[in-house]
Amino acid sequence: MTIKSHVLRGLLATAVASLVAGPALAANIFVIGGKPDDPFWSRVKKGAEDAGVVAEAQGGSVTWLGPQNYDNLGPDAAELIRQAIDQGADAIVGPDWVPEAMDPAFEAVTAAGIPLVIYNAGGLEAADKLGAMNYVGAVDYKSGFAAGEYLGNAGHKNGACVNTLPGAANIEAFCSGFNDGIIAAGGTGSVLQLPATAFGDATAVAQAVRAHLLQNPEIDAMFAIGDGDTNATVSGIQQAGKAGQVHVCGMNFSDTILANIQAGSQDCAIDQQGYQQGFFAVSILNNYVNYGVTIPTREILTGPGIVDASNVELVIEGVKAGVR
Amino acid sequence: MATQTSSGSGGFSIGDLIRRPETGSLIGFIVVYVFFASLGGAVFLGAPGWSSWLNIAAEVGIIALPVGLLMISGEFDLSVGSVVPASSMTAALLCGHYGLPSIFGIAGGLTVGLAVGFVNGLIVTRTTIPSLIATIGTMFAVMGLTLGMAVLIKGSTSVSYVPDATTKALLGTFINGMFNVSIFWWIGFVAVYFFFLHFSPLGSWVFALGGDKESARNAGIPTNKLTISLFMASGFGAAFVGVAQVMTYQSAQVAGGQSFIFNSIMCVVIGGVLLTGGAGSVIGIVLGTMTFAVVNQGIFFAALDPNIGSIIIGALLLAAVLSNDSFRALAMNYASKKK
Repeated sequence: MTIKSHVLRGLLATAVASLVAGPALAANIFVIGGKPDDPFWSRVKKGAEDAGVVAEAQGGSVTWLGPQNYDNLGPDAAELIRQAIDQGADAIVGPDWVPEAMDPAFEAVTAAGIPLVIYNAGGLEAADKLGAMNYVGAVDYKSGFAAGEYLGNAGHKNGACVNTLPGAANIEAFCSGFNDGIIAAGGTGSVLQLPATAFGDATAVAQAVRAHLLQNPEIDAMFAIGDGDTNATVSGIQQAGKAGQVHVCGMNFSDTILANIQAGSQDCAIDQQGYQQGFFAVSILNNYVNYGVTIPTREILTGPGIVDASNVELVIEGVKAGVR
Repeated sequence: MATQTSSGSGGFSIGDLIRRPETGSLIGFIVVYVFFASLGGAVFLGAPGWSSWLNIAAEVGIIALPVGLLMISGEFDLSVGSVVPASSMTAALLCGHYGLPSIFGIAGGLTVGLAVGFVNGLIVTRTTIPSLIATIGTMFAVMGLTLGMAVLIKGSTSVSYVPDATTKALLGTFINGMFNVSIFWWIGFVAVYFFFLHFSPLGSWVFALGGDKESARNAGIPTNKLTISLFMASGFGAAFVGVAQVMTYQSAQVAGGQSFIFNSIMCVVIGGVLLTGGAGSVIGIVLGTMTFAVVNQGIFFAALDPNIGSIIIGALLLAAVLSNDSFRALAMNYASKKK
C-alpha cells in the first residue's frame, strides 16, 4: 500500500467518523450498476440486496441506481454517481466502465470524503487512481487462465482458444490467459482465429472448429467465450467425431450449458460470479462505515468460479434462486 | 435479355456454353475448389471436407436464393440479418419458455419471417423509400424488438430449447455425424426456386420487374404483389435458417445473424446476379454459394490465416462483377451480331 493511500484512508476514516458520530449507526449505501433487467446485473443486484439485509438490520439501507439503457453509458453512469452524492450517500459502489466520462464523478466522491469501492470493471488500477478502498470483480485474463489450468491439470495438454472477434481486447485477454494457463499445467496452447464473417453464426463457428480439429488431430482441449460460441464449439467437436476426446470449457453459462455439463459434453464453465461482486462490495463498505473495519486484501477477485460436473447441481439450484 | 436469349435453340455448342451467364461462376468455383483441394489434401477432398463446406453453403444458400431473386427484381433485403435471430428467439421462447409443442415454435418463427417480409414489401411498394434503406430500418427495428421481447419475457439474452427427436431429425440433425440435414432442405429450395424462376411464367415477371419496373407494370404484371411476395420469400428463408439453428444448437441468442446480410449478397453476386437487377439465374446463385462456402471452410483445412480467406472472398467478389460484365458484353455482342 502506498503512503498516499494511507493518508487518504486516514482522511476518509476521519470524515466517516464525523458522519457516524450520532447515536444511530447507519450506512446508507448507494450502488451504481447495470439495468436491473439485465440478466447479469440482476444477479449483482441480488448480491447487493442480500448484503443490504445486514445493513438494514443495523439501521442503514442499500439503494440501487441503474441506467434506463446503455445508449449513453458513461455520462449516464457519471450522473448516477453524482445523484448518489447529492442524496447523502454514506458509501458508494460503482463500476469504472468508461473512465473518461466517469472518473471526474468518482473523484468528486472521494473529494467529499465518501468511502468508495470500485467493482465489476476497472480493476485495481482504477481503484488506486481514484482513491477507492478496493476493487471487487473478475479479471478476464485470470478467467481464461483458470480454464487452461483446469483442462491442463485434467490431462488435456494441447489447447486451442476459439476467437470469433480477433482484435477485441477482452477476447484477446481471455485467450492469452487460457494459453498461459494450459502452458502452466505443462501443455501447449494456440488460438483458432475466425474470420469476421463468422461472428454470431453458430454454423460457421461449428464448421471452423470441426475443420481445425480434423487438420490438427493433436488438439484435445478447447476454450470458447460466451454461450453461443461454446455451444457451437461442442457441436463442431461432435461433428468431427471427437466427442469425448476433445474437452471443452466455456466462459459464462446458460441452461443449455449446464445441461451439457450434466450430460458430459462440456467439461467446465467459467463464471465471474456477479452475485459476489454486489455482495462483497456492499459488505466491505457497510462494515467500514459502521465499525471502521477494513479488508486489507486489495483486489477482491469474485471470479473465476468453475462450474463442472462436481458442482453443477448446486449451480442449478443457484440459478433458480436468481443468484447465478 | 441475356439470360433468356442464350438458351434458345437446341443442340450443343462451346460458344453457347461460354456465353451462358453461369459460366463465369462455374469457372470461379472450379478454380477455388482446386486451389483449396491442393492445399487441404485428402481430408478436404473426402466426406469431412465436403460436409464441412456443404453445411455452410446450405445455410447461407437457403437465404441467398430468395435474396438473389429479390436482387434480380431490383431490390435488396438487409433485414435477413435480424430475421434469423428473431425467428430463432421466437421458436425458443414458444417452445423452450412456454413449453408448447415444437410445431408451434416452427410456425411462430416462420411467421415472424413472413411478417417482416410483408412489412418490407409494403414499405417498398407504398412509399418511395429505396429497399436498401427500408430494410435497414426494419433490420434495426426487428433487432430491437427481439432484444426487448427476450429480456421482457425471459429476462435473458439467450433462451434454450431441447427439441423432440422428430423435430431434431427433420431440422437439426447431422446425417452420418457430419452432413447437416439442412443440405437436403437447401436442395429442395433450389428445386422450387429453379422451377419458379426458369419454368413458371412468374419467373419472367421477376426478370421484367428488374429490367424496367414501369414497363413491367404497364405490361400488366402485378408488380406490387410480386415485390411483396419476393420480400416474404426472403423473410421466410431467413426465418427457416433461424428455426433450424435452434433445433441444431438448442439455444437462441438475440445477437448474431448479421453475417448473413453480406454473406448472402456476396453469394448472389459471385453467382452472377446483376446488382441493378434484370439478370441472374438460380444455378448461378447456387454456384456462388458453393464458391463462398469452399473459401470459407477451405482456409481452415489449408491452415491459412483466416484473414486471407476474407481477402480471397473480397477479391472473388470484385472478379465476379468484372467477369460478369465481360460475359454479359460477350453475350449481348453475340446476340446482336446474329441479327
